[in-house]
Amino acid sequence: MTLDTSVHSLEKGNRRTGERPPTGRTSLTTEVPSPASPWWQGHRRSALFYLLTPLVAGGVTAATLGISLGGVVGYLPTATVDLLYSFLRMCAAYVASLGFALAYGYYAATRRQGERVMIPVLDILQSVPILGFFPIAIVVLAGLTPNSWVGPNIASVFLIFTSMSWNMVFGVYESVKTLPVDLREATDSFGVRGIQRFRQVLFPAMVNRLVYNSVLSWTAGWFFLVEAEIFTTNGGSALPGIGSYLSFAAGAHHGTAFLTGLILLVILIALLDFGVWRPLGHFAERFRYDQSPSGVGEVVGMGGTTTRFRRAAAYITRGVRSGVTRVSTPLVQLAAIPFRSASGRRRTEQHHPVLYYGILGGILVSVWLLLIAITVAIFNVFSAPIVSSVRGQMLELPLAMGSSLVRVTVAFAFCLSIALPLAILMSRRPRAARVGLPIVEVVASFPATALFPVIIFELLPYISGEGAAILMLITGMLWYLFFNLLSGIRSLPPDLEEASRSFGVKGRDFFAKVLLPGIFPAMITGSITAFGGGWNTLIVAEYLNVGSSQKFQLLGIGSSIDVGYAEPNGLPLMVAALLTLVLSVVTINELIWKPLYRRAVEKYRYD
Amino acid sequence: MALIRLEGVGKSFASRHGSMSIMEGITFDVKDADFLAIVGPSGCGKSTLLRLIQGLDHPTSGQIYFRDQPVERVCHEMAMVFQNFALLPWLTVSQNVTFGLEALGWAPDRIRAQSERYISVTGLEGFEEAYPRELSGGMRQRVGLARALAVEPAVLLMDEPFSALDPLTAESLREEILQLWRDPALPPEAVVLVTHNIEEAIQLADRIVVMARRPSHVLELVEVDLPRPRDRKSTAFYDLTDRVYSLITESGVPHPHGGAPSSAAPSSSQPL
Repeated sequence: MTLDTSVHSLEKGNRRTGERPPTGRTSLTTEVPSPASPWWQGHRRSALFYLLTPLVAGGVTAATLGISLGGVVGYLPTATVDLLYSFLRMCAAYVASLGFALAYGYYAATRRQGERVMIPVLDILQSVPILGFFPIAIVVLAGLTPNSWVGPNIASVFLIFTSMSWNMVFGVYESVKTLPVDLREATDSFGVRGIQRFRQVLFPAMVNRLVYNSVLSWTAGWFFLVEAEIFTTNGGSALPGIGSYLSFAAGAHHGTAFLTGLILLVILIALLDFGVWRPLGHFAERFRYDQSPSGVGEVVGMGGTTTRFRRAAAYITRGVRSGVTRVSTPLVQLAAIPFRSASGRRRTEQHHPVLYYGILGGILVSVWLLLIAITVAIFNVFSAPIVSSVRGQMLELPLAMGSSLVRVTVAFAFCLSIALPLAILMSRRPRAARVGLPIVEVVASFPATALFPVIIFELLPYISGEGAAILMLITGMLWYLFFNLLSGIRSLPPDLEEASRSFGVKGRDFFAKVLLPGIFPAMITGSITAFGGGWNTLIVAEYLNVGSSQKFQLLGIGSSIDVGYAEPNGLPLMVAALLTLVLSVVTINELIWKPLYRRAVEKYRYD
Repeated sequence: MALIRLEGVGKSFASRHGSMSIMEGITFDVKDADFLAIVGPSGCGKSTLLRLIQGLDHPTSGQIYFRDQPVERVCHEMAMVFQNFALLPWLTVSQNVTFGLEALGWAPDRIRAQSERYISVTGLEGFEEAYPRELSGGMRQRVGLARALAVEPAVLLMDEPFSALDPLTAESLREEILQLWRDPALPPEAVVLVTHNIEEAIQLADRIVVMARRPSHVLELVEVDLPRPRDRKSTAFYDLTDRVYSLITESGVPHPHGGAPSSAAPSSSQPL
């Protein structure tokens, strides 16, 4: 069943000319640039908006803080050089990601035996908080390379690569997978292979998803790049880059320096968006064939500029789904066995959630403790004895993990209460969307991590440590949830909305019977990705240490990793904290998100 | 008395090339106890017209009256059957049937009795707790029909209700709808059926509004005075089919109001 069926007879005539069907019933009409017009035609206003916003905002802030233009110009060379370092890292990581995505995605999609292993592996990797591995990568690579700055640089590129590549891999994989069978058969029947096959069949099929995923990858990349550079400031030997620049500027309360760096960063991101991604997105639109192999999560609207994030979110959604539905969950089955045999009857976890989760929690905690014990033992055997202060912190790890979990959950609750009403507003009020979506996109494409130092050093007195940490977590989680919800609401079949209007179902009834069930799968996917973002953000949201006077530390798993990295004898703590975090995240995904997700797609899909 | 009256209804929308008219000067009545079919090629705005009638969408010119009152908001004395069923996949058959009833704010007992009645009328007994995806297309459309009939509408609007079904299922459902229609105990005073299948229209309807497209307008109002049950193989049936068919294909020449002519006979209006 196609999603747009109620208008399908009308659309047939209009689709070829690229015009929207003339119905007032579509909840939101995006302005569609006709293919003949140059790519910037429809974007002139938003481009202006994009470039002017940082300048105006910067100017206003500078004026209120009493910062002179001369001061800004003074910091310009340093900030530019640092930004250039960061940009080069991004480019290196992106090129690597692109190559990896093409190779891995294509191989996984075309070789059955490859698929069976490669996609589950990717699924596990994407769910692990990659930033946690950054310190280990630094330590390992710094050990391998005698020159001290090569190691951290490779480590940071590697980190950005991991944050960029997985959604691109899913993009390639899905493009090849969803290539219509008759097209593939035609290709084979004419014996089209090699370069021609790639150029005329595979590339056109992939380019759309690849471009939209690249936009998302760069957004994620900036976030992690800045975070990684901030992280290195904790150890003393900071990586030169815009993240460490901002971190030091905020630590030293240099408002002018900080603002200079921030404006430069925003301008670079805006230029990239305007000069690279928009033309590319316009180019990719030409290769889009209207086929939605599976309904949920696919954005129906035609490609305007504001659909980029939603489209990307939809691709992510389907990536997560294809991963989640493929991987079996041995842990769930394992946990259910004793419970089932004890009761002797077929009972689901719904009947005894408290007992069920109590047992799971017990298992989790004992595994933690076991793991910590093993780590401590290993370090006792193979290296110098663990310093007592570090040992004390290692024993506190379960508590740290618990408080981090509470922090992320609270932040998630805030995110949900912001994102849900906002997404509903944006998708049900065309006027609000026309004004609001471009703003949301500008804000969402900006790496919130760049503001972390200023949150920590300037806002801390007003909102306390916990408040600052939760605020940072929200910035790292909100957009995953928002864009997933938005694409969920927009992929709600127009039929259902129309039937509701026709039968007079509105208000609370409409929300309870139509809207909420309709977006439930998108909400779950959004939650999974938001929590993923949250775990990653934790690494810098709980600890920052720039110089001796400026220190911010909360009890949490992220700060345990940071402390382990920063302190001279902290390696055992870092490894133990990382293992605890990874194990907890994987367990939470397996025990809570995957079952919920499976239930969501079973009951709440349209077909 | 006319139950529904359309007076010079037109619809246009703003595009980047200025205002574009998709429907002009549509005038016809739906009488009491009328089974009216709207026939035309794909893209002629039949479905849009049906939505204008219920008030789900608004005409840019002209006026639609229901019982002599202008239709200004969604009219709940009409109920719609959708082409692709528009059932809520997460609700059971009986919950889908009560979808419109609960919106009316009826008492739970009354809702239950009503839904039981229409589930049995449409032959859905035994499937009350099933989910739509567990049903065949024909059964799903029965749910759509039960949902619409349950609110006891004065007018039943059907938007290509058989076109998502296979021919055999469609045929048997058509027969059943005719039987329901002839049952005086059952609600709708009138039925408006949108279809691109000419034979279907002639088989079911008392009168047929034949439309052309770009911008869509009424070509002719054809009375079907064949005795029921109608025999598709009879000469009279065939002649009428032929007449409507040529009406539509001849409208393929450029229309004075502009717009592109359809280059070939619309394949969708060919008889099954």
